[in-house]
Amino acid sequence: MGDLVEQLVHGLTLGSLYAMVATGLALMFGVVRLVNFAHGEFYMLGGYAFWYAYRVLGLPYPVAGVAAAAATAVFGLAYERTVIRTILARTWHVQLIATLATSITLTNLAIIVFGTQPKEVPTVLSSAIAEIGGVRLAWQRPLVLVAAVVVFAGLEWFVARTKLGRAMRAMSQNREACAVVGVDVQRVALATFGLSAALAGGAAALVSPLFNIFPDVGALLTLKAFAAVIVGGFGYVKGAIAAAFLIGVAESLAAGYLSYAYKDAIAFVVMVAVLLVRPQGLFGRRIGI
Amino acid sequence: MALFEARGLTKRFLGVTAVDAVDLSLEAGELVSLIGPNGSGKTTLFNCVTGYLPSDAGRVFFRGRDVTGVAPHRIARLGVGRTFQLVSVFPRLSALENLLTFLQQHQEEGVLARLVRAPRVRRFEGVAVERAMMLLESVGLASRASAPAGSLSYGQRKLLAFAAALMPDPELVLLDEPAAAVNPTMINQMKDQIRALHRRGKTVLLVEHNMDVVMDISQRVIVLDHGQKIAEGPPAAVRRDPKVIEAYFGR
Amino acid sequence: MRALRFGLGGAVLVAVPWIVAAVAPGQQRYILHVLIFTALYGALALSYDLVVGHVGSLSLAHPAFFGIGAYTAALLATEAHWPFAAALPAGIAAAGLTALAVGVPMFRLTEHSFAMGTLGFALVAQIVATNWVEFTRGPLCVTGIPKPEIGPLRITTLPAFYWMGLTAVGLIGLLYHGLTTARLGRAFHAVRDNEMLASAASIHPLKYRMLAFVIGGAMAGGVGTLFASYVGVLCPTELAVSLTVNLLVMLFLGGVGSLRGVVVGAVAFTALPEILRMAPTWRMVIYGLLLLVIVIRAPDGLEGVIRRRSSAPRRPSASGA
Repeated sequence: MGDLVEQLVHGLTLGSLYAMVATGLALMFGVVRLVNFAHGEFYMLGGYAFWYAYRVLGLPYPVAGVAAAAATAVFGLAYERTVIRTILARTWHVQLIATLATSITLTNLAIIVFGTQPKEVPTVLSSAIAEIGGVRLAWQRPLVLVAAVVVFAGLEWFVARTKLGRAMRAMSQNREACAVVGVDVQRVALATFGLSAALAGGAAALVSPLFNIFPDVGALLTLKAFAAVIVGGFGYVKGAIAAAFLIGVAESLAAGYLSYAYKDAIAFVVMVAVLLVRPQGLFGRRIGI
Repeated sequence: MALFEARGLTKRFLGVTAVDAVDLSLEAGELVSLIGPNGSGKTTLFNCVTGYLPSDAGRVFFRGRDVTGVAPHRIARLGVGRTFQLVSVFPRLSALENLLTFLQQHQEEGVLARLVRAPRVRRFEGVAVERAMMLLESVGLASRASAPAGSLSYGQRKLLAFAAALMPDPELVLLDEPAAAVNPTMINQMKDQIRALHRRGKTVLLVEHNMDVVMDISQRVIVLDHGQKIAEGPPAAVRRDPKVIEAYFGR
Repeated sequence: MRALRFGLGGAVLVAVPWIVAAVAPGQQRYILHVLIFTALYGALALSYDLVVGHVGSLSLAHPAFFGIGAYTAALLATEAHWPFAAALPAGIAAAGLTALAVGVPMFRLTEHSFAMGTLGFALVAQIVATNWVEFTRGPLCVTGIPKPEIGPLRITTLPAFYWMGLTAVGLIGLLYHGLTTARLGRAFHAVRDNEMLASAASIHPLKYRMLAFVIGGAMAGGVGTLFASYVGVLCPTELAVSLTVNLLVMLFLGGVGSLRGVVVGAVAFTALPEILRMAPTWRMVIYGLLLLVIVIRAPDGLEGVIRRRSSAPRRPSASGA
């Protein structure tokens, strides 16, 4: 029983990570209809930024975390201004290939700059083990989960209560109407990107104490996040979050009870299964953030 | 037996009923227009009967055969030609190649024969080119036969799409707003083309907003409003029908 | 006089091993090795272009078919001692049948989902190849893959492998040409450029997408078989997703949808970095940037640039494209 609980907690940790990354992807698709294949690299860059701030500069954990999210956000904004703006009006083929190309470039640059050896960033909480009713887990794990919940609540507040957030929600439902009504479409697109990047960078700060940072980490993450977005229904953020947790838990249980080696395949098995049975995703064609 | 028939055709989108139990029937050789205010369901109906949208209820018959839910390429193969509201051509192909593309499936050759360019295939190709040039001639595009379709003007592309739909000599031709967004000269040309089609014995159903065109060439007019058929009859009668007037002006 | 140019070009290509031996005797092994890889990559790129360039399906599953063909033939040769003449068709068939099986569910998906689905399949294929150690030897790789023997013909020397590669790219090129011209080509292109209109023209989009996908997959399997027999060793890393990126670079650099373009792209991708002695990571950074710039600015690649140059000053037309 304790074993199962441990696996579930691991699954929720994974799910939190996937959900934060998938939210960024879903936001980008929902608001600007863009498929960003380099999204996982935002996480990777955030991870390295965090490592630099925490291990190299020696900043306290929360500060380093915020710095990492901020640095990633800045990168996201720059990326939007340069690459994304030029491909927004193009076909999805072009968008996919362009962002895929970005992903390859960033990954290899990371290898050149940081080397292939994973960077470890243990924090106090990742090494401190809690024992609750026979279940052993690092304090970092509940932190990740709590932080994720806080982030999603914050996002919901942002989208419902702030002008920018409401504009994002409106754009996700009807872009043309927004342009007519006077919403600054360019600004909203930029903000969406910055937000998505910050989410990925923040996720890296939360999770890399548990999982390490290496140049390739983005690739698999992008794909699993995509799986969540697809299963949740393209463009429906809450669906993506739910699907991400589903995938995280499924992966953890599969790793524990079926086979550790094949755990990475679970996300895709779930994705393909859902796509075949319900091509519009688990939650139907609901659009909107 | 009517050439084409829709019975109780219904299509719903996210709570809105775009097409509401519509009955429609065309005898061979008729020229019928489908009109109605914006959003009345005309193009949706077109898409349902040509297989692009699955209907939620009702049945569609072509030459007595139930074609409800049949895939669009098979309906086309049975002898139904259509144009699209947003003018559709193959931009990278030449005008001539556009037309040839519309005829090639109507030859019973397998993929293998095509791969080895069997002699029978070559002869067919010759006949196809002749027919294509004749059609291009009739819409005044013969001089642009080798120009990429993407380089033609909007009106020229409309004419090309029209000619392409006629390539396989379909019995039933569905035209989606043939007179939209073209200049008056072109509109007259379109009217002449449609009349010529009709004279050749083809059955034509057109969706159109331009009332002059509709009143001028149609034998019969069907009016849709909010997905429902509200009137049907000769143009003059429909024009005077109070329900129709209300649908267009009464809000 | 195209036939003469073809014949001359073909003769030169065949004579390459001797030309290299005469011009750069010390480098012969290295140069031939690069050329063999270029030929195989060229063939693989053509098979991929069939799917991406001509029927417009952005499949990311190609490495899986390459790998399935390679592993099928390699295992049949090393475990069941099948001769090359039997292992090659087996590899082609295995890849083609897998493409058929995968294509049926995949083509029910649209656009992004199709790309993701095929990517997912490619990833799962690599994961299986890496982890099903009892069957594929996993990271330990399949070793000792025998050199090809077709009757009295034994392909053991580098020039022989070069001619094998040349034959492969030649055959695949011929097939590619036949499939992408005339009526079949028009059907593919119609589906690619306007699927709705293609349906209105009685063209069955699914049939043609599947045709390109399965034939492309089968060809990839064949190239995989040749690759395995040349290198002699086969590891799961050959199925990596990065192969798709490499292929995309070749296609877009040279000219997607064009035989000459794709071949040029393959040559540029494979031979050029060798000539420039680029380190692998820097090479990928440069190619990533190149792909980015090309897909945005010049999606027709080098072929497009050449075509625009050669069809230069004309009378200005009445309306632009």
